[in-house]
Amino acid sequence: MLEVRGVDARYGDAQALWDVALDVGAAETVCIVGPNGAGKTTLVQTIAGLHRAAAGTITVAGVDVATLPGHRVCDHGVATVPEGRRVFGHMSVRDNLLLGAYRRPARAVHRETEARVYELFPRLKERSGQQAGSLSGGEQQMLALGRALMALPRLLLLDEPSLGLAPVIVDEVFDAIAAVNATGVSVLLVEQDVERALSAASRGYLLIEGRIVASGTTSELRSSADVRERVLGM
Amino acid sequence: MTAVQAALSGALIGGLYALMAAGLSVTWGTLRVINLAHFGLILVGAYLSYQLTSAWGIDPMLTLLVSAPALFVVGAGLQWAYDRFNIVEFNSLLVSFGLLMIIIEVSTQVWTADFRHIDAGANPYGTSALHLGPIALPVSRLVALGFALLLMGGGHLVLERTFAGRGLRAFAQDRTVAASFGIDHRRLGLVVGGLAGVSAAVAGMVFALGNTIAPAHAYEWFGTVFAVVILGGIGNLLGSLFAGLGVGAFSAVVAVLWDPSYEPFVLFLAIILALVLRPQGLFTRRAAA
Repeated sequence: MLEVRGVDARYGDAQALWDVALDVGAAETVCIVGPNGAGKTTLVQTIAGLHRAAAGTITVAGVDVATLPGHRVCDHGVATVPEGRRVFGHMSVRDNLLLGAYRRPARAVHRETEARVYELFPRLKERSGQQAGSLSGGEQQMLALGRALMALPRLLLLDEPSLGLAPVIVDEVFDAIAAVNATGVSVLLVEQDVERALSAASRGYLLIEGRIVASGTTSELRSSADVRERVLGM
Repeated sequence: MTAVQAALSGALIGGLYALMAAGLSVTWGTLRVINLAHFGLILVGAYLSYQLTSAWGIDPMLTLLVSAPALFVVGAGLQWAYDRFNIVEFNSLLVSFGLLMIIIEVSTQVWTADFRHIDAGANPYGTSALHLGPIALPVSRLVALGFALLLMGGGHLVLERTFAGRGLRAFAQDRTVAASFGIDHRRLGLVVGGLAGVSAAVAGMVFALGNTIAPAHAYEWFGTVFAVVILGGIGNLLGSLFAGLGVGAFSAVVAVLWDPSYEPFVLFLAIILALVLRPQGLFTRRAAA
């Protein structure tokens, strides 16, 4: 579904990613773990086309999207839940969801998708007329996820979905991610909460200072000395 | 009775302010371009309506068939240039002020600084009025109100109810996230810039119906129209409509009951007070961030 090869990313003179390679298979959940400032968010934004890769290829379902303008990458089935949720605070919950279905193929079936999102998150239905900015953090995270689902993604990029949320809400969000994954959507999960990330995913990569330094199944990563030392602090 | 008459005819002048504010408000609110050249487009729209009516002897409203498409192209072209050179917010204020001066200068070259007006014979709306008992409502101003209701009500519905409208509002709040859902701000920007040009053509035509035209008018519109945009809430078309009617009625009542020379003083004092109490504009709902 997703093949990243040799990707570099920079901000001006500062290089944030070096020669990153990773894969996400069809209907797979893959996590990226690493300490603060490792380049995790840059990696998500680069894959989503919101930050231009300085080198390398990013192939989604056989198409190289690395050189496409940002608003074209979603044409290939990529949807993002950005770090900090970034819902449109001055728009209603329903308008946020409908915005997710902006592209024509998603627009054509937006009623059906909206009903499915409300099934997944009944709370969003209760609040559909409310301004998104007035929702709690957990509800905003559900809205950001629902908005991404409205785009009918084949690959979902999740950047720190647990950030700033109470544990019981995080459980709910991760249950929803598992449910979405079970419908055949591939998931790339970036998460600081390493325990959560490793238990949600089947494989993972360790990103440190902009480089992938380890990869493997989640049980291999759990026992890797690097992961234990550098991100679990054990 | 004079106060009622003043409030009503003032509100009707306010319909014209609202029309002038519409394009400015939408490009500012959605594209973050504060386009002072918009006043120049209104001026050109007024001159085009005057010129075409004089040359062809047609109904002034029919001149929109020429001026609206022409100003659509100019408005879209302007927005293309602002986007191409990444001119937004404070920069756009400076650049578009320069453009405005150029437009005014060119208009002075073409039409001279003399006052021009559509010939009374060619202007069926110029001098007639609708009489409701003792109150007289000039037809040219009723036309302004009609166009304001039509364009701004319609624009509001498009912004609130359509996918393109939601895309614009989302783009105004978070460009990056909006782009990740497929919003092509360049294409939307051209359409919005073009439609702002159309609104300038309409405002110019309506102005020409009831007023004499001179290049310096573009500067005179500034203060009131800016006040309408800000009071209505930037990017909020219905807000601008109400703010336009309110500002028009308020200034006219002050002028009649007190003294016309106090009108700007009282108006801007009231606006400052209103903004101190509601900094987001009178008609904007604001959610907790």
